[in-house]
Amino acid sequence: MTAARVRTWLLRAWVTLVFGFLMLPVVVIVLASLSRTSYLTVPPRGLTLTWFSKVLSDPEYVQAIVFSVLLALVATAGSLGAGIAASFALIRRRVAGGAGVAALLNAPLVFPGVVVGVALLQFYALIHLNGTFVGLALAHMVITVPYVVRAVTASLQGIDPELENAARVLGASGPVAFFTVTLPLIRPGVAAGALFSFIVSFDNVPVSIFLLGAGQMTLPVKIFSAIEYGVDPSIAAISTMLILLTGLGLAVAERWIGFHRFV
Amino acid sequence: MTRGHGWRLLAPALVLLAVAFVGPVGMLVPTSVRPYVPLVGITSGFTARHYVRLLTDSYYLEIIGRTLVLGLTVTCSTLIIGYPLAFFLARTPSRWRNWLTILVVFPLMLNLVVRTFGWIALLAQNGLVNQALQALGLVESPVKLLFNFAGLLIGLTHIFLPFMVLVLIGAIQNIPRDVEDAARVLGASWGSAFLRITLPLSAPGILSGSILVFVLTISALVTPRLLGGPTYQVMSTLIYDEFLSRLNWPAGSAQSLLLTVMVLALVYLSGRLARRTGARV
Repeated sequence: MTAARVRTWLLRAWVTLVFGFLMLPVVVIVLASLSRTSYLTVPPRGLTLTWFSKVLSDPEYVQAIVFSVLLALVATAGSLGAGIAASFALIRRRVAGGAGVAALLNAPLVFPGVVVGVALLQFYALIHLNGTFVGLALAHMVITVPYVVRAVTASLQGIDPELENAARVLGASGPVAFFTVTLPLIRPGVAAGALFSFIVSFDNVPVSIFLLGAGQMTLPVKIFSAIEYGVDPSIAAISTMLILLTGLGLAVAERWIGFHRFV
Repeated sequence: MTRGHGWRLLAPALVLLAVAFVGPVGMLVPTSVRPYVPLVGITSGFTARHYVRLLTDSYYLEIIGRTLVLGLTVTCSTLIIGYPLAFFLARTPSRWRNWLTILVVFPLMLNLVVRTFGWIALLAQNGLVNQALQALGLVESPVKLLFNFAGLLIGLTHIFLPFMVLVLIGAIQNIPRDVEDAARVLGASWGSAFLRITLPLSAPGILSGSILVFVLTISALVTPRLLGGPTYQVMSTLIYDEFLSRLNWPAGSAQSLLLTVMVLALVYLSGRLARRTGARV
């Protein structure tokens, strides 16, 4: 029995250490963002919130935030439309070669982002779509649609198709049955897919960095270039804001739809 | 009727992927065999030069080798660090389990640039890790942890650990507890029950988690770029420079296609391997 207790104790110690490792950079960033110094230092020397106001009054950062949010919303809307329809077809309709289609829909998940980026850079230059918002949004839909398909198919598999059939028997048309019966039932999957999609788009650098036109800038690419130029606490401040927002969003998603089921 | 309806519903997603993914990636193939003349650009004609250089020039071979070694070591370290955590999360009766799982997901959802930035602050010459090492008297002077293999290994292990843990949790949860209990009742020690029952039964999860982490590691751009700098190159950062700084798109296309072939071959092989082990279990 003591051996079992030692094992439990060791396992808990390991788990604590690993969680510490996972959270270490997060804690460091938050601490660094509070420092009074003009250079990055941990632990912070003196406490201040000036870096936050500096970032939020910098028009370049504000524009990048607005642009990224807009891009992520458009990409998510497109992915939801295409992804929900595709998931429904894959689960509810018998499609010849469905496995191959599913594999293609999931391919962008493991495909090197940098290759998607350079391929679209060349393709858009050829068809004069380079530097356009449309081109960027289409690229983001490609990389976000697999997340929608994954979450929505998982949700659909748990729903009895007889419910929709019952609605059809009672006289509802196909679309009406889908929107009034099936869609409300798969809402958690749709919400999880939308959240994934928004975050993946908002997070992306390897595809965006090749496609941004003059005057366009997303927040992660802006931070990426800022770091290459030199690190200072204002980067830590914008990062801290992203940490807080991500944490909040994830906590809400867990309370609301049990987000851990969809990862 | 039903069949046609299915394809109509699939059409938007398929058209999107055909136009903005498969087509453009396919168009890298013709570009990769075009000659490139410095200061002139891409010329017409055919050459296998970019592929030959990529597979024979020691500069490129070193980068390819480094990328693969990095993939392998990151996969091993995430597996070793992550397995006990996944085991704990899969088996704990704690009511905090879902929230602890979310705590694993959190770094995954957090902006990649932000996470990498945290490691720059930690690994720099005067960073927290070096401060701690010196305070503990483990080293006399600061250790170089950025712009080399150590930095990339630490950073990428952190970035991809959640993927490994989440895949392993799923695999370990699928193992019936009874099998393990039966082994214990029949006299197996905890260690041998684990090594002979639990570990082999979680092999499919270990395989898919490892392939996922390996593939993501050799494709990663942001973390290698920020922690490795412009000099310590891996394949993705090489492609990035080829397209954006050197403007040698044919060479960059050849490199992109090599990386793609490596990734697809691994995913395909693991799929076949998984089917075989799956059939046996």
